[in-house]
Amino acid sequence: MNKFGFLVYKDFLLLARDKAGLAMMFLMPLLLVVIMTHLQNSAFLAVHESHIPLLLLNHDPDSLGMAIEKQIGQPGVFEVHKTIHGEPLTEEMLVKAVSRGDYMVGIVVPEQATMQIRKNVKRYVMGAFHGQAAPSPTDSVQITIYLDPVIKSSFRTTLMSALREYAVRTESDFIFNEIIAEVNRISPVPVAAVRPARHQVIFKEQYASLKEPDKIPNAAQHNVPAWSLFAVFFITISLSGNIIREREDGSYTRLRLMPCPYAFYLFAKAAVYFCVCTLQFAALMLLGVYVFPLLGLPALDFGIDYFALAFTCISSALAAIGYGVLIGKVAGTHQQAAIFASISVVIMAAVGGVWIPVFVMSPLMQLLSRISPLNWGLEGFYDVFVREGTLAAVLPECAASLLFFAGCTATAIWYNKRKRITL
Amino acid sequence: MMPAAITVKHLKKTYRGNTAPAIARLSLSIAQGAVFGLLGPNGAGKTTLINILCGLRSFDEGEVHVHGYSLPGQWKEIKPLIGFVPQEIALFPLLSAYENLKVFGGISGLRGAALEGCIHDLLSKFGLEQSKRRYLKTLSGGMKRRVNLIAGILHRPKILFLDEPTAGVDVQSKQVILENLREINRQGTTIIYTSHYMEEAETLCSRVAFIDGGEIISEGTPAELISQQPGCASLEMLYLQLTGTSRFQV
Repeated sequence: MNKFGFLVYKDFLLLARDKAGLAMMFLMPLLLVVIMTHLQNSAFLAVHESHIPLLLLNHDPDSLGMAIEKQIGQPGVFEVHKTIHGEPLTEEMLVKAVSRGDYMVGIVVPEQATMQIRKNVKRYVMGAFHGQAAPSPTDSVQITIYLDPVIKSSFRTTLMSALREYAVRTESDFIFNEIIAEVNRISPVPVAAVRPARHQVIFKEQYASLKEPDKIPNAAQHNVPAWSLFAVFFITISLSGNIIREREDGSYTRLRLMPCPYAFYLFAKAAVYFCVCTLQFAALMLLGVYVFPLLGLPALDFGIDYFALAFTCISSALAAIGYGVLIGKVAGTHQQAAIFASISVVIMAAVGGVWIPVFVMSPLMQLLSRISPLNWGLEGFYDVFVREGTLAAVLPECAASLLFFAGCTATAIWYNKRKRITL
Repeated sequence: MMPAAITVKHLKKTYRGNTAPAIARLSLSIAQGAVFGLLGPNGAGKTTLINILCGLRSFDEGEVHVHGYSLPGQWKEIKPLIGFVPQEIALFPLLSAYENLKVFGGISGLRGAALEGCIHDLLSKFGLEQSKRRYLKTLSGGMKRRVNLIAGILHRPKILFLDEPTAGVDVQSKQVILENLREINRQGTTIIYTSHYMEEAETLCSRVAFIDGGEIISEGTPAELISQQPGCASLEMLYLQLTGTSRFQV
């Protein structure tokens, strides 16, 4: 073993014997990842995929009523209820239930709605073919929609668009049928009711990933890397505390008088804490892959480039270690370091998009997020997990993290030298 | 006459924010192979002087040479030549006595059998062989002091700095420490040592210097100093005469 090896041996033993510290470093983030993913997964499903409770009072057992019932009953957005606690629904019950917030939406389809549309359409067609009067606006069918006041306007717009589409589709079916029937009445040659394809314009949606176009980001792909980074950066408390403890108990003074460069002392600590960070990443990633599905959470997909993933982990870990070393060197006391490290990591996490994704932040905060090392790491992981990026894609973020590590370590070494000269 | 292990000329050091200097134009020469005692009251400048001689603190004026190398420029060359035993237990509480010594010995440059042999030898001499696997934090105060001393002499330094090595230890531990210091000195190590225990200094030191207010107020062999001062029968009496007794009177 050389001098560096002895320093690593010392730091490894000290860390391994700090059972409480180790438990904090591993159990806390594991728990945090599971809880936060559960919370965010629920929120994610509530908005995007789950079943918004909807009350439907359909007085029209004909085409329009059936079409609306069929469309909104399709798996996806709504959870359709036609009774409350087994009792047949009335409009009064529906209004009360929605106003109480038990259901977010209530829809009332009036009686004879289809009949009325059919009648109106017939009058339009007759008017077109035989010059008869068109129906007045008062003859329109009115579908009433009750909305929970807390519902977001964007959601209301989406809902209205969907219902309008069902109504228009039903109406156009009737118009088509009536025109065919009328043409057959006046034409000697029968016209077949060949319907055009339902949609002449189709929309293709796909996520902008580089390799697999159908890959959809999920809560695991955000939370596992986000909270892993948070945990990795939280080792700054332990690392800076370790440096200050050695300074306070005098063992650092003895080490300074040993024939050994100061950089060895720092890099030995960095090596040991780097192993801790790597293990933290590994534990949390494996949790995402193997344990999340057992807990009903989406599984983490490692993406396609393991080198890019490893490089992102390494650079983020080094950024955290550099920061811890700098705090340990500059802070005057253990308490000062612990408070500063914890608060600054929480701020960097918040700004960096660990709690709230960066894209929902204000433009100023989005700009600020770019200075957070946690954001560099998180963007790197998004590149790997969500955008299916390779080593080239993560290079900018990893380079920023590595520069941060180099900057912090160089500052710590410079500060140490300056301090010795002025002591 | 032996060549100087340490030469200090017109040394001055004032801490930031203080007007009075901690060391005021102090000059000193310590011969190789000496056991040199730095004696004086609290705040006299003993620890500051030792820290400067070790390269741990900067100084404002003067010259300091350790074994022919000047400070602060040649600190790297000086480090392998010196051993330092600070006042506090400068060891890792969560490592055993053996592990502490292995780490400090290893960083000093000792390897393999030489390191193991050295640790084993010193642990036996200091009566710690039975306790070497215990975590340092579980050892008694006297045992910790002994491990603290061993960590400073493992690499057989040419000059050993000791800052109150026997402070707060029991009589047995003190005897073990002093006997071993004499043996280390016999093997050629120069010892520079601070203490408040005058009797201990009188028996251990070949030369002593009384330091007060950052200045050396008297220097010589214990016998010389005692004989030069009328009415003094011991270093302790001389110390009280030189530094005064009035400072703590209410």
